[in-house]
Amino acid sequence: MLFPTSGFLLFFLGVAAVMAALETRFTAKKAVLVVASYYFYAQWDWRFCFLLAFSTAVSYLAGRLIGISANRDRQRLVVAIAVALHLGLLGIFKYLDFFVLSANRLAHLLDLTHELPFFEVLLPVGISFFTFHGISYVTDVYRGDVAVCRNPLDMALYMSFFPQLVAGPIVRAAYFLPQLAQPSTEPIPLAPALLLILSGLFKKVVIANYLASGLVDPVFAAPTSYGAPDLLFAAYGYAIQIFCDFSAYSDIAIALAALLGFRFPANFNQPYRAERLREFWHRWHITLSTWLRDYLYKPLGGNRHGRLKTYRNLMITMLLGGLWHGAAWKFIAWGALHGGGLAVERLLEPWLGRHSQSRAARVIATLVVFHFVCFAWIFFRAEDFEIARLYLAGFGSGWGDGVQQAGPFVVALIALGMAGQYVPDALFERTALALGHMPAWGLGMTAGIAVAAINALGPEGVAPFIYFRF
Amino acid sequence: MVVTESEPTRGVNAAVSADAIPPRLRRHGGSPRQVLVLTLVGTLVLAVFAAPDLASWLDRMDGGPIIKPLQRAAAEWDDAVGRLGLTRPHEILRAATRRLLDLEWGDPS
Repeated sequence: MLFPTSGFLLFFLGVAAVMAALETRFTAKKAVLVVASYYFYAQWDWRFCFLLAFSTAVSYLAGRLIGISANRDRQRLVVAIAVALHLGLLGIFKYLDFFVLSANRLAHLLDLTHELPFFEVLLPVGISFFTFHGISYVTDVYRGDVAVCRNPLDMALYMSFFPQLVAGPIVRAAYFLPQLAQPSTEPIPLAPALLLILSGLFKKVVIANYLASGLVDPVFAAPTSYGAPDLLFAAYGYAIQIFCDFSAYSDIAIALAALLGFRFPANFNQPYRAERLREFWHRWHITLSTWLRDYLYKPLGGNRHGRLKTYRNLMITMLLGGLWHGAAWKFIAWGALHGGGLAVERLLEPWLGRHSQSRAARVIATLVVFHFVCFAWIFFRAEDFEIARLYLAGFGSGWGDGVQQAGPFVVALIALGMAGQYVPDALFERTALALGHMPAWGLGMTAGIAVAAINALGPEGVAPFIYFRF
Repeated sequence: MVVTESEPTRGVNAAVSADAIPPRLRRHGGSPRQVLVLTLVGTLVLAVFAAPDLASWLDRMDGGPIIKPLQRAAAEWDDAVGRLGLTRPHEILRAATRRLLDLEWGDPS
């Protein structure tokens, strides 16, 4: 069940009706949200619900066991078992066939004839996200950053809450569980939520979908059929497409949670205006980058043990971050590029710091970071290394061929996506405050008309969000 | 992938607790009932102005004792709002987008 569909709208209408009927009964509301979340998840494959329930049970029991034990070693053992179970599930469902394929390729290189069989396990949607929720909860309980969750209903809702279940944002237990302890006394921010939904729908339905079908998909499918200008526009196009696709999902998830009375953290903040690669990761998929910082980079030692170990830790974190995105070497290469980039940037920091004061230097820095990110996206998007190689080789010639695929409309969408990186926050706030004076029915009419217009502007049918496969 | 600027040893949640909707925008708002009103009105408006999509969504579902009558009702509803000219804005926007998609560099328009 995708967000921008009639089916999801009717589902949410039903949830909103029950929430309104149960206005003061907080426990009943939470129970309804758990049932609704499992129903939402079952729309992909009902069997995945057992996996989600198992992951929830592991996290809940591990938290309780840590809570009742005063022995630090025993607590550590519980954390290790829980994390191993979570990672084991992720390994089986997401990476098993990748490891088999890699082992078989290695065997082939070594002239070994025996090949391991493939398991062809179906990848459960959103498994990477709820696994990270489970790991962060258990680790935070052990570290004392969050209280043990004694209510299984709260744990079930934390793990399954449908707005973030299949593609994030990754919401930490310490952030979300306190919201389940007692009902919020804040009013529901109707106008900001509505604006987030509308901007998210526009980014996904119009910008991301047209860039995918009109430029990126055909060029990446056969890069040798296009000249260098098309390849360049398709690389820019993919940068905008993946931003609009993923940030749209986050925006809508944040808004849906807000409409149900919950707060979510920000996940994107105009990433392509970053002047440093490090700043890019402060602005892109913020909940994942901070998760990796707190549960991987820092436990590895972070930047506390000298320069070389810092580079090593950066590289390990980024390689594993790349692998998190998918079971393929191209994602690992993408992670390696970013890890290497971050290490080089850190090495050059004293020089960069001296030469980045002027406006021109900052513009150049932004352009360099953006193009480096686009370069790395080529590996991320290409079907495999061979396609990526052909794509990059295409930049060596054909600059005079003109464009076949990048028409004025898709180029305008790229420009629009880039312009969106520089929209001041104040504009969103002023619009939200202005809309905030409208009654709920007026907001509903505005939403209905705007969604109908976005729907008419977009192509027929809705492509799945890119991050569903992660 | 990793945010490395500052490394507090504790308080890991400082960086992830920035609400996506800032507190100053949360001072005014509504209740769950107003959320229901907003969603209901929005759905009704969509049912009028995006009736063809409602019909095509139902058509994509398998038939059955519940779905079949709904599919018929959605098709009749689509016809009715079409006769009233309420789907014209949808058609005009879609046709305009198609023209934009077909534009090529150097076109006089």
